[in-house]
Amino acid sequence: MAPADPFSLDLTWTQVSPRLAAARLTVAAAWLVPLLVVAVLPPVLSGIAWLWVLPAVVVLLALWLLWLVPRQVGALRYAERDDDLLIRRGIMFRSLVVVPYGRMQFVDVKAGPIDRAMGIARVQLHTASPSSDAWIAGLPPAEAARLRERLASRGEARLAGL
Amino acid sequence: MSVPAPVRPEGVGEDGYVWRRMHPVTPLLRGWKIIAAVLIIASTQFTGDIRGAARLLGGDGWVAVLGGFVLVALVAVAWSFVSWRVTRYAVTDEAVHLRQGIVFRQQRQARLDRLQAIDVVQPLLARLVGLSELRLEVAGGAGSRVSLAFLRETEADALRAELLALAAGLRRPGTPGERTTSAAAPGAARPLDQAPSWFPGAAAEPAAGMAGSSGERLEGAAQDGSEPSSSGVTSWAPYGSQPASSSGTPAAYGAQPASSADASGIPAADGSLAGPPAGAVPSYADARYARPYPAATTRPGAVTEPTFATAPEHLVYELPMPRLLGSIILSGGTVWFALFIVAIVVMISVSAPFEAIYSLVPMAFALFSFFWQRINGSATFRAATSPDGIRLRHGLTETRLQTLPPGRVQAVRLHQPLLWRGKDWWRVVVNVAGYAGDREKQGTETVLHPVATRDEALLALWLVLPDLGVDDPRAAVQAGLVGLGEDGGYTAAPRRSRWVDPIGWRRHGVLVTRRALLLRSGRFWRRLDVVPHERTQSLALEQGPLQRQLDVASVAAHSVHGPVVPRIEHLDTAVAVALLEEQAERARHARRTAAPEQWMRSR
Repeated sequence: MAPADPFSLDLTWTQVSPRLAAARLTVAAAWLVPLLVVAVLPPVLSGIAWLWVLPAVVVLLALWLLWLVPRQVGALRYAERDDDLLIRRGIMFRSLVVVPYGRMQFVDVKAGPIDRAMGIARVQLHTASPSSDAWIAGLPPAEAARLRERLASRGEARLAGL
Repeated sequence: MSVPAPVRPEGVGEDGYVWRRMHPVTPLLRGWKIIAAVLIIASTQFTGDIRGAARLLGGDGWVAVLGGFVLVALVAVAWSFVSWRVTRYAVTDEAVHLRQGIVFRQQRQARLDRLQAIDVVQPLLARLVGLSELRLEVAGGAGSRVSLAFLRETEADALRAELLALAAGLRRPGTPGERTTSAAAPGAARPLDQAPSWFPGAAAEPAAGMAGSSGERLEGAAQDGSEPSSSGVTSWAPYGSQPASSSGTPAAYGAQPASSADASGIPAADGSLAGPPAGAVPSYADARYARPYPAATTRPGAVTEPTFATAPEHLVYELPMPRLLGSIILSGGTVWFALFIVAIVVMISVSAPFEAIYSLVPMAFALFSFFWQRINGSATFRAATSPDGIRLRHGLTETRLQTLPPGRVQAVRLHQPLLWRGKDWWRVVVNVAGYAGDREKQGTETVLHPVATRDEALLALWLVLPDLGVDDPRAAVQAGLVGLGEDGGYTAAPRRSRWVDPIGWRRHGVLVTRRALLLRSGRFWRRLDVVPHERTQSLALEQGPLQRQLDVASVAAHSVHGPVVPRIEHLDTAVAVALLEEQAERARHARRTAAPEQWMRSR
């Protein structure tokens, strides 16, 4: 990344588990593979050569995702400060969210079947604002539990109404 | 629950609460709504087929129609009656409880220390029979309000005064000491925001217990003198207590409050306090207790302990009807109306069959309801201050009297539609946590001033933020309203951002004061968002690929759900990052010193 990354704020950022990329790619495969099968059928059945463009597009999409998703997951990081939690996301469209512990109304920890198989969980922070889009996916369950406890205890200590 | 709960006689329930019923006329008013809905549905069914409807009503059909209508009306009223029978409410020192539901029973509890706003709403019919609905907004998102409908007008006003006083941290006079403490002591019932970390409770507890005497209360506040501006009483004193500065503070903003002494339409509790603001707050507690609510007007069987008088208030501004009409003429709806007239003229002139005009009926209806809603919602709009916060009153047929306690406004937006520019009119809207719920009502609920002149807009902002945190608030707001570039000390978007926003880039600007964040934008639809530091929920820094090439970034300050979405686009990246970091720190600091949620309570 750029030598002076303005989004880093000179903090030590924790990356999420690379297993998140595996989980996301699994989900992508779950619809890409049937799509590929459907795309292969027309050229095979009709024998028209240019129809191979269809499966080629699907394969290209798959390759693109294979390249993109690990990068996206690599860009998802978080940092805990004394009073707030910072979450960074995105490569093209970058964002950095700062959530003060005292503003948190509740914390969700979620894990779907694929997440559980991969051993990851997703922590979502809710403030009174619907626009604070603060979540961290791809946390190992132990880390998710630790983070939840920490957020809850810090939030309680600093809770300041609305 | 298949078996309906036995109807308990009025009075104390098994849980020790005093359960009260709504007014017995409620089912008729509620039933009327259902009937009206049926009528509207029926009429929309027939608008497309007027001849068919006429034929049906012409023959013997009208008997069936009338019979059906009577049946629907009976069912509606019967349903409303049963629902009234099972609806009860109870008020304790900490919360309002509401029980309702015929099939699915529900008991809702609204904590008073979480109270965001209290509205007294009077639909036309209820107004005719002297009833009103009391709505308590708590910050629970959609559908979290507690609605007490309908109560007798006087009862609703008294209950509102009582709830505001309790929410402000006062206690009922004559409450036995042990009851006060036992009610306040259990940890679970204590609001979390009064955790010892920032609540020097020892000083406040006796003060609250002795609320009957204002001297005691003020002494309690004075014990906290190290932080004079953070005690509930003193921090809101500019609203009415400082005789010299209450007119002087708005003068600092450059505007004078409306000079008329008091709201003629608003019943003030105590005539002697209703006029000039002098001494309103110091005698507030006296006003509260000097006039216990007359026992004669309380419902038989209801609590007989004396409650609280309505806090005194004084008018700040009101909206003249000509300006409201003018503002509606200068709105987008008028453009549509003109097009509509043109359409009719064209249709008639090309001699289309006259009936083709019927196809315009829905559009005419939509236009009419647009204009009507604008007029009805904003007519007789007036804002007043009181120790309980901002009082807004508006509405032509359905009146609404809103009370926003201090510190409940999360963000303010002053904006100017394109056509209002010539008149220099502004619309002031706010975010209030409780009003988040229903979007369709947001138009009227979240308006602080429907059509303000420049001075009134400043005044409206002053209502929310008496101290803007700059030495020359008027200049700062002026620059925010109409300024460009670096005017008024704003940090503007750099020139290179014109590649991403060629028209508006010079308007993007931000000013940070000691108390609030001012975000300016909009070249044609001018906009100024003001967010008090202690009200920012979270912050975000965002940068798209184009912005990255230009080394600019956007900052969003997240506020509660509402019309104000504070955001500043295309600041220099370094500036944006600094703003984010500093704002996080400022918000943290401001929260620590913010006034308590229970605004009459010393900290």
